[in-house]
Amino acid sequence: MKKYSNLLYKTIENKTIVWFENSNEYLVLENTTADILKRLSKGVSVKKIAEVLSKKLAVPIEKTIDFVLDLEKKLFIAKDFSDSEIINDYRDITLPKVFHFVKFYKVNNTIFKVSYLNEKELSYVHPKFDHLVVDQLNSFDYEFHVFINNNYIFLYVNKKFIGSWSSKEIHYFQGKFSMELIQKIHQKEEKDWMGVFHASAVSDGKKSIMFLGDSGNGKSTSLALLQANGFTCLADDFVPMDINKKEVYSFPASISIKKNSLKTLLPIYPELETTAEYNFTRLNKIVRYLKPNNTNFFEHLPCNELVFIKYEKDSDLIFEEISKIYAFQQLVPDSWLSPIQENAQIFLDWFASLTCYQLTYSNNDEMIKTVSRIFNTKYSI
Amino acid sequence: MKKQLKNTANKSQQISRKDALKKIGNYGKYVALTALGTYMILNPQKAQAQSPEDPGTGF
Repeated sequence: MKKYSNLLYKTIENKTIVWFENSNEYLVLENTTADILKRLSKGVSVKKIAEVLSKKLAVPIEKTIDFVLDLEKKLFIAKDFSDSEIINDYRDITLPKVFHFVKFYKVNNTIFKVSYLNEKELSYVHPKFDHLVVDQLNSFDYEFHVFINNNYIFLYVNKKFIGSWSSKEIHYFQGKFSMELIQKIHQKEEKDWMGVFHASAVSDGKKSIMFLGDSGNGKSTSLALLQANGFTCLADDFVPMDINKKEVYSFPASISIKKNSLKTLLPIYPELETTAEYNFTRLNKIVRYLKPNNTNFFEHLPCNELVFIKYEKDSDLIFEEISKIYAFQQLVPDSWLSPIQENAQIFLDWFASLTCYQLTYSNNDEMIKTVSRIFNTKYSI
Repeated sequence: MKKQLKNTANKSQQISRKDALKKIGNYGKYVALTALGTYMILNPQKAQAQSPEDPGTGF
């Protein structure tokens, strides 16, 4: 019998989502196709499966045999790849003696000392956490070191090597930095997380709603507007969710505000006028950072709704429930999802229980009212 | 050649799915088989990532 990857199945709407353990991939299939996979992985012969299919579709058996063989080849055999990643040898790398920028960040009662070799390293991390800075201290709870050596940026936590990334992978370095930080704040390890979503999360103190949307669709602007109207910003850009409680955890980074949102936000946040501006030339993006209004970075709350939000000039308010399969297709490629089988199962179950909406707006008040409505009418735990 | 392309794009030549199925007659049953072989592969990010906000052009 061929050895197949472990699979998980979840039927949502009229499709079946299949998860492959060896590649941590999710496939959206017709229910019948998922059924064929299930039977193949159980060791049922191709001929037997093809016979049933042939009867069901009234198609000659030779055609269905071809179909099942082809499916097996595409979905199982092709996935049997080994990791060909080049492993670098870091034994020669030692921590530099002098770090030119040393910052102390306070999150709840935990003090993080982060040493940056130069201004470049500082610029990759510090602006998002500037609001957490406290005066230099003699004692601290955790120590991070960030330095560039031979075109790679290195991260050490408590003098232990965590990883190194090339300049093209800088978003993975930043992601890992955030992950290490969040794990220390909440006393969790990587296996304790369901995933990290590229979204923003808002709470009313009782539950949270996750907002998704492509860059430039107004996710962060909406978040800034909502936090000025009685809601709490739980996390922006990096939304971690744990496996035990299946809840969104607070992340203390600032909200990045693009230049074209300033006009909308300046009347509410006059401090943005004098905040430092960061010009990311390569991305053609000028941003300022806005402090989140959350003060309890221990907070974690359930999330039962996903909202795809979009600001569109002159648009009427469009608010509708959308297909979960569509939402799934948008959510997965942008997220880090735990590759552990039990966690993937919990993720699929959590996702199946969600309600997903699309919210398109041009009028800020209407958007805020609609979000309040979601918080109030669909209250469930 | 150019003219031919134009003809293909002519709206009056477009037919509905129902008509198309009628036209292919007995082969219509294979449509179901093709639909079963249509799927979408979604790969999550390989590691935790932030939105890229990279000042400058590399190290």
